[in-house]
Parts: sequence; C-alpha cells; structure tokens
Amino acid sequence: MKNQLVAISIFLVSVSTYAADLTVYTYDSFVSDWGPGPKLEKAFEAQCQCDLEFIASEDGVSILNRLRIEKAKTKADVILGIDDALIEVTRKEGLVQSHGMKLDGLKKELNWKDSDFVPFDYGYFSFVYDSSKIAKPPASLKALIESDASVIYQDPRTSTPGQGLMLWVKKVYGEQSPGAWAQLAQHTVTVTKGWWEAYSMFLEGGADYVLSYNTSPAYHVVTENKTQYRAALFEEGHIAQVEVAAITRTSSNKALAQQFLKFLISKEAQTIIPITNWMLPVIDGVELPPIFSELIIPKRIGFTPNEVAEQRTGWLKEWRSTAAR
Amino acid sequence: MRVAGWISLFMIVLITVLAFQGLIGFSESGPDWTLLNDSYFHNILAFSLKQALLSAFLSVVLAWPIARVLYYLPHVPALNSFLSLCLLCFVMPTLVLITGLVVLAGQVEWRLYGLNGILLAHIYLNMPFAIRVFYQQLKGIPDSSWKLSAQLKLNHWQRLRIIEWPSLKSSALMLLGFIFVLCFNSFAIVLALGGGPQSTTLEVAIYQALKYDFNIPEALMLAWVQLLIAGGLFLMVSRLGSANWLSVDTASDEWRPQVKGWRYWLMKSSYYLAWLVLLLPILALFFGLIQGDLSRISLASLIRPTLITMSLGLFSAVIGMALAYAMLNPIRQMNSLGQTRRRVFFEWLATHALVAPAMVVSVGLFIFLLQRIDIDRWGIVFVALLNTSIVVPFAVQKLKPRLYQFDAQYGDLSRSLKLQGWALLKIEWPFIQPVFLSTFALILVLSMGDVAIFSIFGSKEWTTLPWLIYEYAGTYRMAEASFASMLLLALCALILWLFEKAQTPHA
Repeated sequence: MKNQLVAISIFLVSVSTYAADLTVYTYDSFVSDWGPGPKLEKAFEAQCQCDLEFIASEDGVSILNRLRIEKAKTKADVILGIDDALIEVTRKEGLVQSHGMKLDGLKKELNWKDSDFVPFDYGYFSFVYDSSKIAKPPASLKALIESDASVIYQDPRTSTPGQGLMLWVKKVYGEQSPGAWAQLAQHTVTVTKGWWEAYSMFLEGGADYVLSYNTSPAYHVVTENKTQYRAALFEEGHIAQVEVAAITRTSSNKALAQQFLKFLISKEAQTIIPITNWMLPVIDGVELPPIFSELIIPKRIGFTPNEVAEQRTGWLKEWRSTAAR
Repeated sequence: MRVAGWISLFMIVLITVLAFQGLIGFSESGPDWTLLNDSYFHNILAFSLKQALLSAFLSVVLAWPIARVLYYLPHVPALNSFLSLCLLCFVMPTLVLITGLVVLAGQVEWRLYGLNGILLAHIYLNMPFAIRVFYQQLKGIPDSSWKLSAQLKLNHWQRLRIIEWPSLKSSALMLLGFIFVLCFNSFAIVLALGGGPQSTTLEVAIYQALKYDFNIPEALMLAWVQLLIAGGLFLMVSRLGSANWLSVDTASDEWRPQVKGWRYWLMKSSYYLAWLVLLLPILALFFGLIQGDLSRISLASLIRPTLITMSLGLFSAVIGMALAYAMLNPIRQMNSLGQTRRRVFFEWLATHALVAPAMVVSVGLFIFLLQRIDIDRWGIVFVALLNTSIVVPFAVQKLKPRLYQFDAQYGDLSRSLKLQGWALLKIEWPFIQPVFLSTFALILVLSMGDVAIFSIFGSKEWTTLPWLIYEYAGTYRMAEASFASMLLLALCALILWLFEKAQTPHA
C-alpha cells in the first residue's frame, strides 16, 4: 500500500507545468479527432512556430459560462465557438476585446461589421431526419410541434443549437411560446446537454428528428456516402447561426491571437472547416464537395444580438418552467 | 490518537465550509428566495420527492418477498453467489448500469428516458441492498419463535404478522429512509436518464444552475433546500440505527419452517426471476459488444484510464479508512462516557458529506479554487480529495457499530490494562478486521465509480474509466461503452470477491 501511495504522489507531482503560447476555448466536437481542431492546430503551428492548445467545453454556451466563472483568471487568449446570438451577452460582461482587424474578405451576405468578433463559419438550425424512414417531413415548425413525431433537441442553457431553437420558437410563436414548449415536450425523447450527444442518439435511431444544421446532410454524403439524411425546410424561415471567435480581454498575447483569427478566415482554414465542422465557409471562392450546393437554403429570420442580450434570461426561464411541467 | 481524530473531523468539515465559502463569497447577493414562487422550482421539488419516494418504496416492497425466499429456502442453488451479486449491484458504478440499461432498452425498443428509466436504475441499485438487510434481519429470528409458532399451529398469515413483521419493521422504515435519501441525492442517473427539464431533480438542478446558467444565487437556494430536506431526513434515519448488511457472522443452520406446495414453487421461481432481473443489465453489455463494431475497440486506450481509476480508488479508500478510523476515536469516547447529544452531533458531522449535496460541495470548491489555482493542472488532486471525503461517511457508518461493540466488550479491560496506541490496535485489529476489510473493498469500489466529481474537476488528460464510459455512451458508441463497462464491472467484482475471501476464516 505504501508503494502505491508513493507512486501516486510521484504521479501527481510530475504533472507538467508547461503552458501553451496560445490557449483557445472551444466546444468538444470541434476538437474531436474528426473535427477541425487537430488539422487547424497543425496548420497554424506550422505557420506561427508556436504552441496552440485547445481546451474544450460541452457546447458553445458552456464556453461563455466558463469564462464568466474564471473572469480575469482565465487562461484563454481566444474563445472560439459561441454564436452571433451571444455576442452582446459576452460583450456586456466585458470578457473580450476588439480584434482590430479589417474584415474585407468575408461573404457579402454576412454583412459583418462587428469590431470584437470574427465569424469563422455559419449555417441554419434545422431539423434533420432520415428520408428512408420519413417520406414527407413537416413543412413548418408549427407542423412539427403539433405532430407526434419524436424529437431530440439540446438544452438552450448549454448548447447553441438549443438556444437557436428557443429563438426560433420565440420568433414563430411570440406570446404563445409556453404552449408550444408544452406541446413539444409531449413528444420529446430527451433534451441533451450538447449537440454531439443529441446527434449520436439520433443516428442510433433514438428519434425521428434531431435539431442540427442545414449542413449536416453534407457530412453523411462526404464521409459515409449516405444520402438518406436530410434537413427539413420550414416555411416560417430558419434561425441562422454564425459561429464566432474573439480575443479575451485578459489575453497576454494579443498579437498571436490576432494572427490566429486572421488564420481562421484564411483560405487554408476555410477549406478545412466546412468538411470537418460541417458548416458553410465565411469567404467566397472555397472549393467544396458538390453536395454543398444541394443543401436547403432557408429564409433567414431571427433577433438582433441586442434583443437576445436583453431577453435571454427571461426566455430561458420561460422555457425551463414550461418544459419542466 | 485523539488529536488525529479532531484533525480528521476538521479536514472533512473544512472541505464543506470552503465549498460554501466558494458559493457565498462569489456573489454579493445571497440565495435567490424568489425562486420559491417559481413553478419551475415547484416542479423539480415535486419530481425529486416523487422519484425518491417511489424508488424507496418499490425497492423495499420488491426486496421483501425475495429476502423471504432466501430465508425460507436456504438450500436453493447458489444462494451465496446471489448475495454477492446483490452487493455488486448496490455498489455497481452507475455508468455501467446506465450502459447496460441503454443497450437493453434498445433491444426491446423501450423508452428509457424520464421517470421510468430513473426508477428502474434506482430500484436496480437499491433493491439488492434491501434484500440483504431483510435477509439478515430474518436470520436474526430465534429458533424458539418458530418452534413456538409450530406448537401454536400459527397459519402463514399469523406467522407473517406475529413473527416476521416485528423483526423487519424497524429495518423497513430505516431502509425506506435511507434509500429515499440516496435517491434524493442521485446525480449521474438522473442526468443521464432524466431526458430533460420535466424529470430534473434538485441535485441536477443545482449542477445546471451552476454549470448551465452560472446562476449562483439560484444554486445556493436550491442547495439549502436540498440540504434541509436530505439532511433532516438523514438525521431521522440515523436515529433509527444502521442496518447490518455486510455481516459475515454465519451462524449454524437454524430451524426454519418448511415451505411446501405452490408456495414452494412460487418462491423458487421468484428466486430465479430475481437472478435473471439482476443479471439482465450485465448480460446486455455482451449484446452491446456483439452488436457494435468490435474493431473500433482498442485495449491500449483503456489501460491508462484503468490505472488512473485504480490509483484514485486506492488513494480514496486508504485515506478514507484512515480518516474514518481516526475521527471515530473522539466519538467512541463520547459513546463510552454516555454523552449522547454530543455523540449524535459529531456522528452527524462525520457523516454529513452524505447529505451535503455532492454537487454543491464539488462546484463550490471548484469556484473557490478557480480564482486561486490552475484547475486544469491540479483538478485531479481534488478529484482524489473530494472522493475521499465522499466515502468517509460510508466508512464511518460501517466501522462505528463494530468499534462501539469492541468498546463495550473490551473497553474497561483494555483501560485497566493501560493498553494504548499500537498495543491497543493489535488487540482491536482481529476484532474489527472483517468489517474493516469489507468496508475497504466497498469504498474502493464506490470511489472507483465516481463521475459526478470528475465531471467538475476532471480533465481529458486524466480520464478515468467511468468517464470514458460516459463519453462513449454519450455519443452512442455502445460497443466501446459496453466493453469499458465490462472491464470496470469485472474489476469491481474481483475486488469484492478478493476481500470477501480475505475476511472469511480459513476452513
């Protein structure tokens, strides 16, 4: 037993004290073996001659939560993976600083002017289904909520898709949202903490529909050669998600952080991201597999980041109370 | 010795105090009591109580007939193995069970998420525990009672009412309370099988308030409610006395009434049914393995997590036993001196980690430390420390009765012989050895199964076996999850078996 203890203490003391040159907080699927993380890390490290470290949380909102806890003590130089809806919330907490970059190369349709946040990919929240099992998906969000088809979605408190659905319901139903949530709860299989859990459960046949992105079918075509997964197009329009990165206010290495953000919107990174994170590139002229041109292109609806910042807490409470019944 | 005891007590309490300091010190405003009027709070409180009550009630009610079968039919095949299986079920790492149930539910296309799944898992873990307790109680019925009942020609119903019930009454109540508290504090199962806000418990809501919303006032309020309800109940339960369920006292064959006819067959078939039910989730792991893609499983990737899990478990078990033994020292003295009130208070203090929500303690400490040290680097140290503080109450509870017994029988003698320190320990050891070893095995297995604390403090670099299972199961890689679960379960079974062997006197 004594030897064991000695072994353990040596084990514990030998924990290395090294720190990376640039620390990036992101979400777990981004850094998984098949996500963009490892490839981006390799490409960027070759370019900067530095050491980049990703630290992952379960989902986008968790990154923000972690930063709020750590405040000035945070190790992060860059946060990567919150979305446009959370921009104002993050800014108001004083967690980020201006990127000081010119963003000319971005797609016109994004119409991006933010001085703190840099977009690195985007997509539209959509419900994904297996077309070999379901011939005719609902044509609207209302039809889905009123149906009895089984649904898996993510918790809006931790997950950006979950938050996207919250905004979607709010936009479509307005004051009637509590009723819609209660109705949806009747045929919800489970509400997961992160996107990955939900999507894997869906693939195992856990439900008819899963909340994901309009770009998800591309993954199945490109990597698995499976064509049966589709995203349902809803006539009310879809909430768009622009995933963004920013430099933390307390970063001690702003120059390197800027270099990383520049790299993120470079052609090199933008070629990696769509086929690993399965979202759309933010710059024009990126060569993509043909399936990307067949994806549904929904009408964009939503709230401004300011509206979200003001209402988010109240909406979350409303969701929580009605979905808990 | 006495000083070591006070220091141990102080350390255990310090962890809780620092945790609450972390929570309170972080936000200027105190608990958010407006939540009392929030329907969300009413719903989760009602659900927490409902699931705990149902779990406790069903576990006890289902355990009772099985325990009777074991008692009435002492010659059924593999009775001892069944009792060992019951112990294994009670301490089974929750993620092994969850993996088994998820695979099983997939086989029969059953909706596991929500109240059903939670109840199923809770009953699976706690019913075997209740079986063991009831069985021990029934075995305590003196032969003379049965002989008398035969002379008086009591019928089945009368025997049940007059002889069996009085021997079970107090432990039934204790079990109800104890299982209620365990399920009320249940975390991993509710998180994994809850399936959304409509089946959330206070414990999970605390975690969500902190980790999802970062809403400290709300988490504080929920934590106080959790502490008041679970703590109050626990205090009541601990006054009812603790159950004897790890006993190794095997008396000679007692006289038992014969069971014949349809009753015999009913009992025998329910015995085999119980075997089947308890084995199903374990067998399901094989299904999960066969169905999945076996080529994806790599043994090498499991070696490091296994070693980490074992090391953490050994650390917690060794230190936990040492702390428990040390802190019982002053408490034993209070017991000998008849200071009941003081004793109950310090007993409660020594075991308070059972009721202070594990989540609050972990997250509170996390917040306290986050502003002071680099958690990504040192988190694993706190996984080990917090796990130790979680298993200490179990160790205290199991060691306490045996040590009191020692004091009652040999206390005066050893005092008059002026036995102290090492000499006293040498006398004590043979007396407490069986309980000591079984308790050691128990807390080792318990701490090896932790996910709650790891979920807060752990890091990828130090992934434990249960956490690996969580990751696999969370992303539905069931073959890998099943394989890792089997490995963990085999380890736990091996540990229990080895220690059970070590404590039985050599025949």
